Amino acid sequence: MRNIFPRWSNTVPVKLIIALGMFGGAVVAGITYYATPKYTRVGYQPTQPVSYNHEFHAGELGLDCRYCHTGVEDSSHANIPGAQVCMSCHQNIKADSPLLEPVRESYYGEDSNKDGKLSEGEDKNGDGILNAGPAIPWVRIHKTPDYVYFNHAIHVNRGISCVECHGRVDQMVEVHHDKHLSMAFCLDCHRNPEKALRPLDEVTNLAWKAGSDDDVDPLIAQVHAGLELKESWGVHPPLSCTGCHR
Amino acid sequence: MIRENKQIDLMTTGKDYWKSLDSLAETPGFKDWVSREFPEGASMFEGVQRRSFVKLMAASFGLAGLGMTGCRRPEHVILPYGKSPEELIPGIPAYYATAQPSSRGFQPLIVESHQGRPTKVEGNPSYLPFGGSTDVYSQASVLDLYDPDRAQGSFARQTLKNGVNRWKKVSTESVLDILNKELSNGKFAVLANRSHSLLRQSLQKKLSSSGIQWFEHDAIDCTSAENKLGKALGLKKALRAVPDLSSAKRVLSLDSDFLGNRDSNELANTRAFMSGRKVLKPSDAKKMNRLYIAESDLSRTGGVADHRLRVESSQMIGFASLVASELLSKLGGSDQSLKKHLKNLSSFTQDQKEWASEAVADLLSNPKKSVVLAGGHLPSEVQLLAYEMNRLLGAIGSTINYIEVGASADSILSLESKINDGSVECLFILGGNPVYQSKGFINWEVLSKKLKFVVRLGGSIDESSQIANYHLGQSHYLESWDLGTTWDQSSIVPVQPLIAPLFDTISEASLLSHLVGEEKDDHSLVKNLHYQYSNGGDFNDFLRLGVLATKPATFTSLEATKALLSIKPGKVKASKLTEDNLEVVIIPDFHAFDGQFSNNGWLQECPDPISKLTWDNALLISPVLAKILESKHVGLGLLPEPTMLNKNGQIAPDAAQFDGGKQKAPIVTVQVGDRSITAPLYVQPGLADFTLVATLGHGRSNVGRIGQGTGYDATPLLSGESLVLTGVSIEPTGDFKILANVQEHWSMEGRAIVREANVDEYAEDPSFASHMGAESHSPPMWGKDQDKSLQEKATTTPRGNSAYEHPDHTYEKSDVFGIHQWGMTIDLNQCTGCSACVVACQSENNIPIVGKDQVLRGREMHWIRLDRYFSSSVRDGAEIPSDVQVSFQGVACMHCETAPCESVCPVNATVHDEEGLNAMAYNRCVGTRYCANNCPYKVRRFNFFDWNKRKTDELYQGPLGDKNDSLVDMGKNPDVTVRMRGVMEKCTYCVQRIQESKIRTKVNAQRTAKLNSGNDDAEVKLEVKDLKVPDGTIKTACQQVCPSEAIVFGDISDPQSEVSKLKNNPRDYSVLGYLNTRPRTTFLAKVRNPNPRMPDFVSAPHSAREYHDAAHPSHHGDDHGTH
Repeated sequence: MRNIFPRWSNTVPVKLIIALGMFGGAVVAGITYYATPKYTRVGYQPTQPVSYNHEFHAGELGLDCRYCHTGVEDSSHANIPGAQVCMSCHQNIKADSPLLEPVRESYYGEDSNKDGKLSEGEDKNGDGILNAGPAIPWVRIHKTPDYVYFNHAIHVNRGISCVECHGRVDQMVEVHHDKHLSMAFCLDCHRNPEKALRPLDEVTNLAWKAGSDDDVDPLIAQVHAGLELKESWGVHPPLSCTGCHR
Repeated sequence: MIRENKQIDLMTTGKDYWKSLDSLAETPGFKDWVSREFPEGASMFEGVQRRSFVKLMAASFGLAGLGMTGCRRPEHVILPYGKSPEELIPGIPAYYATAQPSSRGFQPLIVESHQGRPTKVEGNPSYLPFGGSTDVYSQASVLDLYDPDRAQGSFARQTLKNGVNRWKKVSTESVLDILNKELSNGKFAVLANRSHSLLRQSLQKKLSSSGIQWFEHDAIDCTSAENKLGKALGLKKALRAVPDLSSAKRVLSLDSDFLGNRDSNELANTRAFMSGRKVLKPSDAKKMNRLYIAESDLSRTGGVADHRLRVESSQMIGFASLVASELLSKLGGSDQSLKKHLKNLSSFTQDQKEWASEAVADLLSNPKKSVVLAGGHLPSEVQLLAYEMNRLLGAIGSTINYIEVGASADSILSLESKINDGSVECLFILGGNPVYQSKGFINWEVLSKKLKFVVRLGGSIDESSQIANYHLGQSHYLESWDLGTTWDQSSIVPVQPLIAPLFDTISEASLLSHLVGEEKDDHSLVKNLHYQYSNGGDFNDFLRLGVLATKPATFTSLEATKALLSIKPGKVKASKLTEDNLEVVIIPDFHAFDGQFSNNGWLQECPDPISKLTWDNALLISPVLAKILESKHVGLGLLPEPTMLNKNGQIAPDAAQFDGGKQKAPIVTVQVGDRSITAPLYVQPGLADFTLVATLGHGRSNVGRIGQGTGYDATPLLSGESLVLTGVSIEPTGDFKILANVQEHWSMEGRAIVREANVDEYAEDPSFASHMGAESHSPPMWGKDQDKSLQEKATTTPRGNSAYEHPDHTYEKSDVFGIHQWGMTIDLNQCTGCSACVVACQSENNIPIVGKDQVLRGREMHWIRLDRYFSSSVRDGAEIPSDVQVSFQGVACMHCETAPCESVCPVNATVHDEEGLNAMAYNRCVGTRYCANNCPYKVRRFNFFDWNKRKTDELYQGPLGDKNDSLVDMGKNPDVTVRMRGVMEKCTYCVQRIQESKIRTKVNAQRTAKLNSGNDDAEVKLEVKDLKVPDGTIKTACQQVCPSEAIVFGDISDPQSEVSKLKNNPRDYSVLGYLNTRPRTTFLAKVRNPNPRMPDFVSAPHSAREYHDAAHPSHHGDDHGTH
């Protein structure tokens, strides 16, 4: 009797297994690379409604982070500043710049003659109050999942700099997502806080480096300084679930 | 970080959202949508075929895959303020002092607000009688603010041809304009609920001077006792009894539920009275107070009582006379006529004489420290007798104060006659729900035809709105200004808004000032009034503190002999009660009170402390009456059949018949004269034999989706006079109703779960609790480490006899050492069962409600439950006891050090943290439910559905059903994860509060240490003690509300902390300790204080006797009562 299956079919199972293996491997490799926070988050740079330049303000002008992000030392949130904060300078500087139109609109709102008082015809919704304008819809860049309760205050008050999670914002014209902020990223630092601890008055100095001598490895200098601070402040970051998940 | 975004989103998108709801309100389908049956989930899944459901699910999964919508990162925006409000830091909650207006006086509160959204209610500790505690109603009141079924604006009524009312949305402004026109034409009257508002009082005066008449009605009239007493004493004013129980040693309650919701000032009474029951060392035993109660229903106060006598409410005049005559004869006064008169009055209560006589002797042995309290629903004779007894006992001015208050306004009955004779043509219904509450004795259908114009101000469109031409939406108290007094009139408290009205609603004060013709906003009215009362005090300081002390008009003393002599014996000698001549006592419902909370899901699902019913009320009957009924109507199914087991005395029967685990209650018709209702029966141990107890507030016809279809309506029984009716008969209808009872079984069956002793035994052997339970018969859990200190045990977790290694959280042994070790104690001696902790936990931890259908399936989500046990003297077979002792026990996750749940979790979703918390990582949980199965305390709760996202009546439709109204989401605590379907959850010890306090301490540690060291420049080395949260800083939600301070939480690694001291108290014990779970929550055993001379004295609490009988069966039967 003739063979039903041709000779080449002998290798089909092996080929299939190899193909499936390669396909599976590719899928796994793809997911590992493309579906982790390192790929999905890092580099995220949405267009903001106002083209605020961090490099200019925080870098060149040297504004402290806390000038605008006022709540960062007290609250879990590092709040986005209200239009009022912008206007404290921009009432005088570049007061008529068209780029700042959304800021002025948000700040003055119903106050069309900009005198700070409720004048004739200004109370458009009739509630007797001089209302602020629409909020500036800043697009959120850094975001942890709902079940993660990150607290800014505890980090900046215990010697963790903004730069550890946000990168060199003072060198970014437009802010992008710099670190991947995955759970591994958090735990890395929580396990070895000495790699990041710095004196409290250098927390918002994004350019700060431990040690001044050029001949010492900067990482070793950092770890030495960090261990000292860790010991002195009694830093023991939580490693259990309840530290961040509630 | 997400929280900020969510809040801001809500704040800005809110308007659109409300618009869409409003437009919904105008559609004809709105009515239908509102009236759709809500909690009865029974009709839901049965309609959807399982196969089609699976098909649809598969299809939806397929579509979800095609769209790949999950891959793109959704764009979130952050919306900062244009001009930032002062002192507001996003992410840090603000707290405001305010108060909740209620018919029991204003309740002083501190309310937590997250960026403008009130989320959590706490008591204001500046008001000392409450000491920062709150009751269950205040806790739940924040949910009413976000109730989607609120009146979201003002409406005009349009009656369709078929008689159905439709409501057309109109602006509040336009209704006020119409009202102005009508005011000038008509003879106006106001019908209001009772209030303690000073602002209302002042506006009311102005209204009456402009010719507007004022009437008040409340079905549960808290002022009735004071009015009756004032009248009986011949005073022009009412006389309010305000007990001060902190120094009371002996209390006799005549049907008074002063620790519960039936009488007023629950919190102050509980706080003061329960502090007198705190026994921490044997020497306290002598100081412990004692409570005698004679009552018809088993109230929470009756549960606390040391001696309880079942007396029908209608016989209470006779019983009170008996007590008074015993008192008089023991005092040996000279007035023979009164003695004789009282003896005459009490002639038919002689079988209770011994009880009364010994109780009186005990009251007398504590001069000036004993007090007699009478229930508010009792007639003036009893009020008068209680007053006179207090005078004779020297209680007035020491354990009880009588204060003069203004007499109440005219009643609804006089309004009825005025409408009938035409002197009232236009009516203004202000708050309350008088039409619903008075429909038993006023025919509103006829009466409303005689009215030309009716306007109603109310929080929701209810029964009273149905006769109104216009319904004005009333602002919630968290949206309005007001000023009022507390019940004891010792303080004036402000009501200040935390949020601008969410809808186009108006506050009561603004409306009244509009009626008066003053166009002033309620803020300036309150400010002016405060200026008057404080003699020019600072308004902002007042708002900050939330309390302004005043002096109540104290009434000293007046002899009541003459008034007592005028009591007619005929009135007292009520006909003897039998099964054909029953009495019915109408009381406020635990869930709905008088109906005002019937649309509050938290309250509906919070089990009644005594009956443990949710979502329903039942007609309570006594076991004796149940037996009679059962014999008359064979197969009624009221009492369980004796089983093999209970014939042996092994398992006691339940108080009800169960069908597939669901309580099947026979429905009866209750007939009083020509009035009748139908209601399901529930056999309640502890009831007086021929008393029926009916509760108000359920079975409402015009109510939101939560209150729709719950319970039966008892209002047709109301006569406008007494709440105790005699001449009642009941007849089974043959129908049954399924009741959702969360604790079907009520006996401990001789297990040492709640450990109790009488005070004498405690004085002899303070560590009696450790001699009970299986662990007292087994080798010590800690083996050789048994005698180590609590602190060592908590940090090193010695292995004891266990084969497994345990984590060591000391500094030397662990990188992640815990500087605190959290623990909790619950003092069973302090718990009255008020259940405020249950609702506080629900509010703090975003716990959803599940609806009656799911409660019937045992899926309620409460993180803390209150177990209620009854115990009695020896019973035989299927008998349900009549006289019971009640024990309450709050049970939440015990945070076991060797937690059985942790070892069975396949994904490490529940693990221990270094500070002893049994952590639950929701995002890891895959929903195997092994942990819940392995938990010996049954405290884990599983999200069978997306309770938060899905409508409670559409759970089974899954993603096909509608989403829940997101208005409710505004009340969620942003510091706690909202859990989704398929994850397990349980008590976390309020981990969000712990973390917040720890962070706060660490943030400030450097500054504090520098200040303490006196050196401002140099870096200070921080010690562990600098990073520790000071004891008492963290209060769990349940601890914070507790009026009797039964719950204490803290760091047990600190030997000086409150909780460590309590855990070292010999009364401390672990529930199911023999399992070696080593729970971090332990209990302090209960101590009862019975009087050995009383006829019903037993030498050991019934539950202790049951335990000893079970533990030592060989002695069974020969040592009852002697232990």
